[in-house]
Amino acid sequence: MKFALSSPQGRPLARAMTLAGPAYVWLLLAVFLPLSVMLFYSFMSDVPTSGGTWSLTFQNYLTFFDEPLYRKLMVRSLGLSAQVTLICTVLGFPCAYMLAKVIRGRTREALFLLIILPFWSNGLVRIFSWNMVLRSGGLVDWLLSHLWPWTVSTDLMFSYPAIVIGLVHSYLPYSVLTAYLSLQAIDDSLIEAARSMGAGRLTILRRLILPLAMPGMLAGAVLTFVPAVGAFMEPRLLGGRKGTFIGTVIEDQFVAVFNWPLGAALSFTLLALVLAILFAGMRLGRRREK
Amino acid sequence: MKQDNTIGPVELESQAVPNAPHTPRRRTWSVGAALGAIGYGYVVVMIGFLYLPILVMALMSANASPLYELPFHFTTHWYQALAEDGGLKAAALRSIEIALWTTLLSTILGVMASLAFFRYDFAGKRFLQAMLFPPMAIPWLITGTAMLIFFFAIGIGRGLHAILLGHVALALPYVIIVVGARLRTFSPELELAARSLGASGWQITWRVTLPAITPGVVAGALFAFAVSFDQFVVSYFLSDPGETTLPVEIYSAIRKGFTPEINAISTIIIVVSMGTMLIVSRLYRFGGEQ
Amino acid sequence: MTCVMTCTMATAALTSFAAHAEDVHVLNWKGYGTDEPWALKEFEAKTGYHVVNDFFNSEQEMLTKLRTNPGAYDVVMVNSAFNQQAREQNLLQPIDVTGMPNVADLNPKMRHSHLLEIGGQSYGIPWVWGVTSFAVNDTKVHPVPDTIQALWDPAYKGHVGMRDDAIEAVQFAALATGQNINDIKNLDAVKDKLKALTGQLKTFWSSENDWNQYVASGVFYISTYWSGSAARARNKFNLPVTFVIPKEGAIGWLDSLSIPKGAHNVAGAKAFINTMIDPGFYTQWDSRVGAPVSANVKAVAALPANAFNRAVLANPAVQSRIQFQEPITDDKRKAYLQLWQEIKAQAD
Repeated sequence: MKFALSSPQGRPLARAMTLAGPAYVWLLLAVFLPLSVMLFYSFMSDVPTSGGTWSLTFQNYLTFFDEPLYRKLMVRSLGLSAQVTLICTVLGFPCAYMLAKVIRGRTREALFLLIILPFWSNGLVRIFSWNMVLRSGGLVDWLLSHLWPWTVSTDLMFSYPAIVIGLVHSYLPYSVLTAYLSLQAIDDSLIEAARSMGAGRLTILRRLILPLAMPGMLAGAVLTFVPAVGAFMEPRLLGGRKGTFIGTVIEDQFVAVFNWPLGAALSFTLLALVLAILFAGMRLGRRREK
Repeated sequence: MKQDNTIGPVELESQAVPNAPHTPRRRTWSVGAALGAIGYGYVVVMIGFLYLPILVMALMSANASPLYELPFHFTTHWYQALAEDGGLKAAALRSIEIALWTTLLSTILGVMASLAFFRYDFAGKRFLQAMLFPPMAIPWLITGTAMLIFFFAIGIGRGLHAILLGHVALALPYVIIVVGARLRTFSPELELAARSLGASGWQITWRVTLPAITPGVVAGALFAFAVSFDQFVVSYFLSDPGETTLPVEIYSAIRKGFTPEINAISTIIIVVSMGTMLIVSRLYRFGGEQ
Repeated sequence: MTCVMTCTMATAALTSFAAHAEDVHVLNWKGYGTDEPWALKEFEAKTGYHVVNDFFNSEQEMLTKLRTNPGAYDVVMVNSAFNQQAREQNLLQPIDVTGMPNVADLNPKMRHSHLLEIGGQSYGIPWVWGVTSFAVNDTKVHPVPDTIQALWDPAYKGHVGMRDDAIEAVQFAALATGQNINDIKNLDAVKDKLKALTGQLKTFWSSENDWNQYVASGVFYISTYWSGSAARARNKFNLPVTFVIPKEGAIGWLDSLSIPKGAHNVAGAKAFINTMIDPGFYTQWDSRVGAPVSANVKAVAALPANAFNRAVLANPAVQSRIQFQEPITDDKRKAYLQLWQEIKAQAD
């Protein structure tokens, strides 16, 4: 719903620019201009260094279409990210609901903070801690062996499930907290009114709560999906030999060889795909509403 | 902005029928109680999942084996080593300082930008919103390298100021998206009503909008702190030797290997943060009750 | 806060400016000899130069740092196979060895290696060398194998480890197919070998600590490793590890210390490099921490007789099996990387 808050006082663009200006100037200087340099590199054959020659080319982008390797990995990464986002959204929603609607008072605020706290532990140390939990002989095994009469050895480490667990753990707080933000703003009287009209729990959930919580859930999904596609730490450390994804391959272009143009081209292709997916998702969402 | 077609408070009241069928209270109550109990259990399990690696990390900080081997032998050796390791402590303090500055700057700039998107429609708005995604989608390695080159070229160079520049830019999209999600569940009519009563733009923001979106602002700020405090790739590129941040120290150690000293400092940070947060939540309410 | 921040930045700027003339800036891997606190203290006491360390996590990163920070470093550790690339990119300066007495005791083959010496000018002082081969947990793998094919033995499936490095992977497969690691003619055979190897792997290791942890927890029974690190795993961490240089050979590498172009403190750099190849430093380094083999023959001779570096690697029969790495062109490097990434992506 857009309405002109601005009409009494004049040009909306000017007011909007005053508010949003500082943030975007900062982004321009710190991110957009540097990335533009990278974008330029992606069209080069080689990065200019003293003693080398370079030329402009589309080859780096064409490689994506020539080599099945990159397409395959892009699909794999998008799939992984989608799975992680789905799991986070589904797992996070009930938790957010409890926090927003059921738990009250100081406990609620304490829990809100407790959920954010794992973010502040160092990411690398967290991933290594997962190693201790998931490996054969690790915590999971130890627990199972105490609860189960037979000797069980799960070896979740260095596998796709381990990567998913690690990523879900890293991004779950986003889902919980963004959903919480929307849920908490829902007026309780709405729910009571609906109930007093005879609406069942499921109907209230479907027709009232979920739609109103959508903005938060979508924000959480976006904050999870977008970064997870380019993830390289969790796949490398938790996935072992199965941990090859587009993020790790891009990293290799900078760390194992001096192929910045290819790495940059792959990154911008990734960005384009992600934006396309988000755009398509928005379109779909808008169409369903009508 | 997406139009929510769900029933608003005004419409609902007009539909309320005096002779609505009476819901059978007893049955609803016991189902409700059961759901409530499951809900609480669920939250406990979720928090358990979130803290599992953190507990393991804390446990290993007191374990004697430098190779993270079980069986567990208690020791305070690593904490003692940490007390003597000036470099690690200095890095941790530097990280905290940078994160606090990042949080302050990105929250202010981010909230302003969010308000601009919420209130005004203007040419190029969609584009600006889409521009929030590159910093999140493009792998940090690329962004970090790009910043390194660009900052070097225009004379900003490396150092704490460069790191701050980078961190705020990386945190801004999170703040804007999170606050935006909260704003979307916020009823714009409140702002209109206040304006019709003669309030000025500034008063509206301060007295009406900000209090209602406080949870969103707080969540955004906490995310910004997390983004900065845990940022290792970009910081790694932009830090001066000898003046690194904690994540950079840990990332640099990835080749040489971790010692449980790193667990020790991470545990201390978590414990201190937890303490600070619980104290803050006792003194201030930011649940955003209307 | 503003005051604290400004004051911190101002102090940092001032101290870095003031201490500039007396500093030696060193760029190397973390924990690899040039940042040992006891050695730096001795060096400062003897020469008055204060050492400031910076680190890199990969050779490419080292080159990037040199490129984007001209004049920021006085000493840089460059793997000899990368020396040519660094030279061609105008990042290194020739070293005048007058005033560096320990240089005379360096192994002459290394001292005048075509990798480091061009047109009579030295672009790198050989520092330490070592071997990349494989090591076994000798409680799980016995008898200790003498062939590189042990990595492909189905008995160890799921317990094999290696480093995630395209060049190393390709060169290992070259050894296993009887080829010269620096001149691989049959890349298809290499590809097949590597495909089979990824099926054997449990995971990749990227640091000594990783490797040690994986062996200790039973994840690895047999894995590629570096010679010096294997010695450390045995002596310092008491792991039941035996390093093997199989009959097919092993990959040799030579690390050298160079002076970047535009370095501010060349005198300090030369003094530091001289100390790094000094027998006094080396014997302490090897005994306290564990080190690769010094390029200074006198330093190796000063080690205790049973030291791994002296007993095993100084053996000429062993040395003849070692193939030292030569520089690789960028194109070949990219090709190997792509090959390796394709193989990894197919791992199931």
